[in-house]
Amino acid sequence: MEPKEVLDELKAILVSRLKFDPRRAAETTEATPLPKGVDGSIGLDSLDFIELSIAIEERFGIAMDENQDLTEHFASFDTLSRFIAGKLRSA
Amino acid sequence: MKRIVITGLGAASPYGAGVAAYWKGLAGGACAIRELTLIGTDGFRCRLAAAVPEPLAGSARRTRADRLAIGAAGEALADAGLGARDRAAAALVVGAVGGGMLEAEAWYWRHARDGTRPASLSAVRAMLPSAHAETLASRFRLGGPRHTVVTACSSGAVALAEAAELIADGVVEVAVAGGVDAITRICFMGFNALKLLDPAPCRPFDRERRGMSIGEGAGFMVLESEARARARGARVYATLAGHGMTTDAFHVTAPEPEGDGMVRAMSAALARAGAAPREVQYANAHGTGTPQNDRIEARALARVFGEGGLLVSSSKSMIGHTMAAAGSLEAIATVLALEHGLVPPTANLATPDPDVPFDCVPRAARAAGLTCAISNSFGFGGQNVTLLFRRGGAR
Amino acid sequence: MTRPGVAITGVGVVSAAVTGDSAALGAFLAAPAAPAGEALGAGALAALVDPGEARRLSRVCQFTIAAARLALRESGVDPAAGLGLVVGTELGDLASTHAFADGFLERGPGGLSALLFPNTVMNTMVATTAIAVGAREMALTLNAPTVAGELAVARAAAALASGRVPAMLAGGVDELDPVVERELARLGFGAERRGEGAAFVVLEPRAAADARGATVLGEVSAAAWRALPARPWGVGRTRRSPAIAAALEAAAARPGDVGWVYASGSCDSARDRWEEALLGAALGAETPVSTLGRLLGRHAGLGVLRVAAAAWTARSGLLPATDGTTRVERVRPGRGLVHGLARGGTHVALVVGAA
Repeated sequence: MEPKEVLDELKAILVSRLKFDPRRAAETTEATPLPKGVDGSIGLDSLDFIELSIAIEERFGIAMDENQDLTEHFASFDTLSRFIAGKLRSA
Repeated sequence: MKRIVITGLGAASPYGAGVAAYWKGLAGGACAIRELTLIGTDGFRCRLAAAVPEPLAGSARRTRADRLAIGAAGEALADAGLGARDRAAAALVVGAVGGGMLEAEAWYWRHARDGTRPASLSAVRAMLPSAHAETLASRFRLGGPRHTVVTACSSGAVALAEAAELIADGVVEVAVAGGVDAITRICFMGFNALKLLDPAPCRPFDRERRGMSIGEGAGFMVLESEARARARGARVYATLAGHGMTTDAFHVTAPEPEGDGMVRAMSAALARAGAAPREVQYANAHGTGTPQNDRIEARALARVFGEGGLLVSSSKSMIGHTMAAAGSLEAIATVLALEHGLVPPTANLATPDPDVPFDCVPRAARAAGLTCAISNSFGFGGQNVTLLFRRGGAR
Repeated sequence: MTRPGVAITGVGVVSAAVTGDSAALGAFLAAPAAPAGEALGAGALAALVDPGEARRLSRVCQFTIAAARLALRESGVDPAAGLGLVVGTELGDLASTHAFADGFLERGPGGLSALLFPNTVMNTMVATTAIAVGAREMALTLNAPTVAGELAVARAAAALASGRVPAMLAGGVDELDPVVERELARLGFGAERRGEGAAFVVLEPRAAADARGATVLGEVSAAAWRALPARPWGVGRTRRSPAIAAALEAAAARPGDVGWVYASGSCDSARDRWEEALLGAALGAETPVSTLGRLLGRHAGLGVLRVAAAAWTARSGLLPATDGTTRVERVRPGRGLVHGLARGGTHVALVVGAA
């Protein structure tokens, strides 16, 4: 799966699991930051990140190691879709 | 202000029925966290919990949680030697979360969604947290005001604080109060989903801690005004000298990072008791074993008592997180620590976390001449409670 | 158990029939009409809970926050000066609990929602409301059948009377749950009217309200809760109400001082008859009684709405008749009683008077 396809799946997760308004999800781009408190971000907090990682595990069939610091991968849609695409390739 | 004393204790814990078994387990540092067989655990990364072993009190037709409550409240009442007249006027405050959800789930899992089989009336009624109070009041003929508090993981401690307020306000002379929870699918699955469970038995305050372990149980106390206890010649275990209840108003699951709400709860308990921080020798911590809770609780303890200012241990290392029962079971542990001059340990603590600047009494109980101790309980939604006990009838 | 002098300085109601502050509630009570259906629409909430905030809030949490905001806004109380919160509920956020379980039943562990899980604990409405309004003192969720709302007001009044908290938000909330409704109907409890919504009052010591120049809408002069002998979920036989006696004593009032009553009748006929017998024995059969539950359906919010309604009646001398018409009776202004009785015997009495 290419990062672009991964990105589309992530946008779908934003709506289905994180309960974002579909219009808000559609406005996001690869560069949109994820964490709350960052300028222009979609505003995810710690609980959202847990939900997101469960959804990623379910949708892509990969395991997210909660003991590993994944902060850098969860910085933006771009970093996250690359991280997932990489995991899928190595799987 | 009226003094409130503890004259009866009752427990149904992962060590089995009774306060004697509970204290023997805690004092021996025995970890009761095992493979969970009460409900299915396939597909979950954590498959452990601390369940209460059979036999349970009460009839098998009752919910598991009701049976745990009956065992613990019955023991506390018998221990206090309360007569029928005192019972008829006694308040009842129950802290609960899951209610009869374990049994409601069993129905829901099979029948709710297709509607093929109606729920039984008793299951519908026993599902809510308030059902325990109905059961206990009827069974033990407790005729005073009763209410049920739900403050997530601090519910059992809040119930004790509420009982203290009813006595202090002069509404009643005697109250029965405590918390109860049985393991439920929803609770077990939910903490798994939040990735807050350690796949191994929990290791509070350890540098390698990975999360909590789920437990279940019930802890009840009989509280009364000192005047009433004296008049009827009751044995006094301890004085509930102060309590504090505060709210973080910060996040639904995460504690406020500086521990402000916890500090305010501990400070309020000290102020109400008229106690100086240096008088407190032991804190029975909330100590869940999650990286975040233990770090922030240690920070809050240090802000109030100074680094290394008192002994700290977590009973959850042995009995798991017993949810709504935790606050009251741990209050009982605190009272018994004062009574026996022995601090129960933190089991499974191998490598102390440098971010926790306290002696957390690793693995083995410690003899200590205690006169004053606190028990902390913090719940989802930032619901913080501190109870402060003094030994015997001491001021 | 409450010493005199707890002022009501704010009201917030979110229900199918009326949404707003004390003025909106007064307008509704002056010409009370049953709502078309008991369920509350989403439209009323949009103005009170913004969409970004609503993303993470269940429907019942949104009711709660909206009603709390309305009450707090009317009161002008500053939460930063110390605000406690007590919320009564009968069912909590059962919809989220169903959704959480359904996620697992349909998709296995991957279908579990971390966002929904905290809502399966009944204190979720308190937790989210405390965050939304900045309430940092004691925050309690009280669970009780039928009388959870009245109990919350009584508990909050007691906290104020003993000087523990500067101000309290006391409320009640419930949401209609289709599974519970279906099962209760199957079990023969379909005749009772159940409803949904949230209601709050802001309570503060009279002296504090006067000192900051607040408009006092009414006063909770006394509040008490007790238990009557009855089997669990059963209806008892006793006609003597210790809660009414305790509340009257604390308010230094005689039965004749009670000009009117808001009772908790809701078409659960056995329970309603028991309550009528208790009220009759305590106050005499002539005291006018209003049972809004027949109109709005029983839910924990209604218990608090009735306290706010009592403040309106104390001011206006008007009591909504609840005989299926929109008639309003003239009653004696001044003190009246709010009474709640649950199966199992828990009952609450509050003496409410004008400012």
